[in-house]
Amino acid sequence: MLQFLVDALLRTADLALITLGLSMLYGLIKFPNIAHVQYAMCGAFLAYALNSIGLPLVVALVLASVLTGVLTLGVQLLVFDRLLKSGPAIAMIGSLAVSMVLVACVLGLAGSFPHMFSMPYTEPLVFGGARISKTQLWFVATTVVLLALFVLLLFHTQIGRAMRALACNPALADASGLNARRITNGVTLISGMLAGLGGSMLALSTGAHVNLGYDLLLPVFAAAILGGLGNPLGAVAGALLIALTETTVTNINFGPLFGEYLLFLPVSYISAASFLILLLALLFKPYGLFDREVRRV
Amino acid sequence: MKKRNFLKLAAGTLLVSGIFSTAWAQDTISIGAVLPLTGPSATVGEDIRRGIELGVEHVNANGGVLGKKLNVIIEDSGNNPTSALTAARKLATVDKVPAVMGEYSSSITLPMAQYLVKENVVHLNIGSSSNKIRELGPSAFNIIGLEENGNRFAAKDVYDLGHRNIALIAPNNAYGQGVAHGFKEEFEKLGGKVTAQVLYTGGQSTYRRELQQLARANPDAFLYTAYGHESAVINREGKELGLRNVPWYAYIMSMSVSDTPAEIAEGQIGMELGSPTGELGKKYEEAFKAKHSEGFKTAFNGYGYDGVLLMAAAIEKGKGTSPAEIVAGLKAAGAEGFTGVTGEIKFDDEGQRIDPPYDRLKYEGGKLVLR
Amino acid sequence: MYDFLIFTVTIAGIYAIMALGLNVLAGYSGLLNFGHIAFAGIGAYATGIAHARGWPVLVGIPLGMIAAMILGVAMARMGRRLAADYWGIATLAVAEILRTVALNEDALTGGANGIAGIPGLFESMPGQWGQFYFTVLVLALVVLIAILSVRLGDGRFGRALRLMREQPALAACMGYDLLKLKTHALMCGGAITALAGSLYAHYFNFAGTEFMLAAETFVLWTMVMIGGIGRTGGVILGVVLVQAVYAFVPFLRDMLGFGSDVAGALRLGLIGTLLLLCLMWRREGLLPEKLRNPA
Repeated sequence: MLQFLVDALLRTADLALITLGLSMLYGLIKFPNIAHVQYAMCGAFLAYALNSIGLPLVVALVLASVLTGVLTLGVQLLVFDRLLKSGPAIAMIGSLAVSMVLVACVLGLAGSFPHMFSMPYTEPLVFGGARISKTQLWFVATTVVLLALFVLLLFHTQIGRAMRALACNPALADASGLNARRITNGVTLISGMLAGLGGSMLALSTGAHVNLGYDLLLPVFAAAILGGLGNPLGAVAGALLIALTETTVTNINFGPLFGEYLLFLPVSYISAASFLILLLALLFKPYGLFDREVRRV
Repeated sequence: MKKRNFLKLAAGTLLVSGIFSTAWAQDTISIGAVLPLTGPSATVGEDIRRGIELGVEHVNANGGVLGKKLNVIIEDSGNNPTSALTAARKLATVDKVPAVMGEYSSSITLPMAQYLVKENVVHLNIGSSSNKIRELGPSAFNIIGLEENGNRFAAKDVYDLGHRNIALIAPNNAYGQGVAHGFKEEFEKLGGKVTAQVLYTGGQSTYRRELQQLARANPDAFLYTAYGHESAVINREGKELGLRNVPWYAYIMSMSVSDTPAEIAEGQIGMELGSPTGELGKKYEEAFKAKHSEGFKTAFNGYGYDGVLLMAAAIEKGKGTSPAEIVAGLKAAGAEGFTGVTGEIKFDDEGQRIDPPYDRLKYEGGKLVLR
Repeated sequence: MYDFLIFTVTIAGIYAIMALGLNVLAGYSGLLNFGHIAFAGIGAYATGIAHARGWPVLVGIPLGMIAAMILGVAMARMGRRLAADYWGIATLAVAEILRTVALNEDALTGGANGIAGIPGLFESMPGQWGQFYFTVLVLALVVLIAILSVRLGDGRFGRALRLMREQPALAACMGYDLLKLKTHALMCGGAITALAGSLYAHYFNFAGTEFMLAAETFVLWTMVMIGGIGRTGGVILGVVLVQAVYAFVPFLRDMLGFGSDVAGALRLGLIGTLLLLCLMWRREGLLPEKLRNPA
């Protein structure tokens, strides 16, 4: 039972940071950015590259996330600002093009074979029948801390208030003197950093590989939409829900129903489960389960 | 002006390469090979390529084939059937080779070989083990042990080691399905039981869920087979989840541990296709190590080498390079017994290798050793 | 060499049919269908399943088209009030769900192995003639569908779709049933694409799940957008351009000797860059849609 909870927590951590970044940025720029998950992939490869030239792991992670933030901001300023003038549909197709270019660059430079971080193997921690490796523990801890910091930022600071105001009503916020440009750029930077960090920490366990972004696309979008776009806590709650569903669905033993000792749902149906949740969310609760923030869907 | 110059350059290049290739073509005999040079099996693909390369060097150093140089055109299958089919098509229609070797994964080899047989191009299997390979046709041959043999060997080995309840994980494709189904049959014939079985889908970044489903069966041992990188993840997560308190048996061990770090693979046991043996095998191994300092990475390079040598022998015996002559040559070589680095190769009526060799292995001290 | 050219042209033809199908949805109706490849997959698998079950294999073609039309209806009714881009994500999810089902249901679709050994059309013809006739068939279909597409676009249905795309509120006021228009557009585009999917399965003698990856939809989108969304000639141009890149890169690789990973990256990167440049500077594509000028 405990292992089940640990697994769900780990899967949530996998998704949470990237979903958080996506959700916050959505609230401001208002189009589904398919390239967002590719920023996570870039972050993973940057961290790997920095680590392999000798930088200590933590430094590599931090530097990679900063660089990813800068990349995100750059792409936003150069590409998306321009495309958004033609509408969110064009911007979405543009994000598709950006995705392709990012994947192509990484594929050409790093190859299609996954790159594992060279970390010594350490025995996992065992408690009460559940096991978790030290790396994973760090990942979860970092996610929790960052989330707490982010919530603090958003709800207890001037800047956070400005961000929320801008997401709610850009025209009014602009009129009341908030520097919309600067705030949007700031949020873009942070969102990119979160994606980069999320991707690199994920890569610590699974290796940096070209499909990292694409594999996360639908689960992250599902989590973001479930939680309500622009709602940071919702984003994490959405990630938790997706993780729980995935973990539950594969752990239920259907054997007794069919007279066999063990019978499980094939694991690859899990991804179908999250997509189904995404579909249902879009059809029935497009503003998210918590239905608080601004309508755009 | 620029455009005209470019056109001239292009025309010139085409002309020169045309002349060059025809001239070159008259002095070489080309056959084709399709290998997984990218994707999760890239390590194996590269290993096989090295074996083939050495085979070509060996043949050309000993007088070539029918007085001409042998050349193997190697294409990447991209680890998916459509790319492999396109590669095979290119080899058959552009390069016009009479024979193609490859691929590696059964679910890619089968459609590709079916196409080749249809186009009247000889097919030699050097990497896949699905039983369906037997049914490909009279112009398809095979030097690898098929699953029917491998499963019997593995089942007996596992049973002899004292295990009775097995949990099995294999890829969800023609190869894995064949292993899972066949091993279960053979193992249950001996009196054991496969209490849980999972066919995993490739390309995932984690296999925890599959492993946990298996763990619920409380097996005596795990039997697993997986491609390179996927296997590395499975092995690492198996260790992290504490499932290594029971033995892990690797089916086709060199493939399954090809990308797994030594500290995690340590202590595993398994079986494998016969590695290079005998005098020829030793010489081959020395030549291989001289060229590639790391030595053999998997057991498959020897079959690539033998494939090339066998093809050369077949062309000599058949006295020609048309598909029909090569088929006759292969049949003749197989009938009298061809000695390769992997042992003696003899074909049965369906072009399949008789008594293919297998080894029992364990992972000790950072490498695979016989037990 | 000649054979390989025929091969490239045939593949281009099949993709052209798929792109024309997408054009009805994306071009005329402005529907952002990111799951479009699902229609092609249905066509391919319909043919494959027909073969696997021992039915006459040509049955697969109409079967696939009907199944695609049913899916089209479902997609149209899904989320009627979803904004265009979110509907796009929903269609992406639908395509992925179908792909996952195809991957797992061994009994139906052969699972991860796909269905092999599907006979080509004109198999009974001697030698290379079978190939030749197939290519002629594909090209003929492309021309036919292109003509139909132009007629459709210029006709009443096409104009209604365009109106729905540009001014949905006005269209509703004028009495058009938007849902019905959407449904018909999806059925039409879906059926055309399913036909192409069946042809693909016949050509490769194989139906597999790699075909249904979302990456393929993105390729189709690129073809449609680069050439000129909404204009038949533009779509064909886009297909030719993208297919040229696709076919050219492996030869470049052979000439310059770089690895397959770089070749794959180059293909993807060139196409992505083309799409991006197009979006930034020539949003309507190289051949913009011809709209009738008010007299």
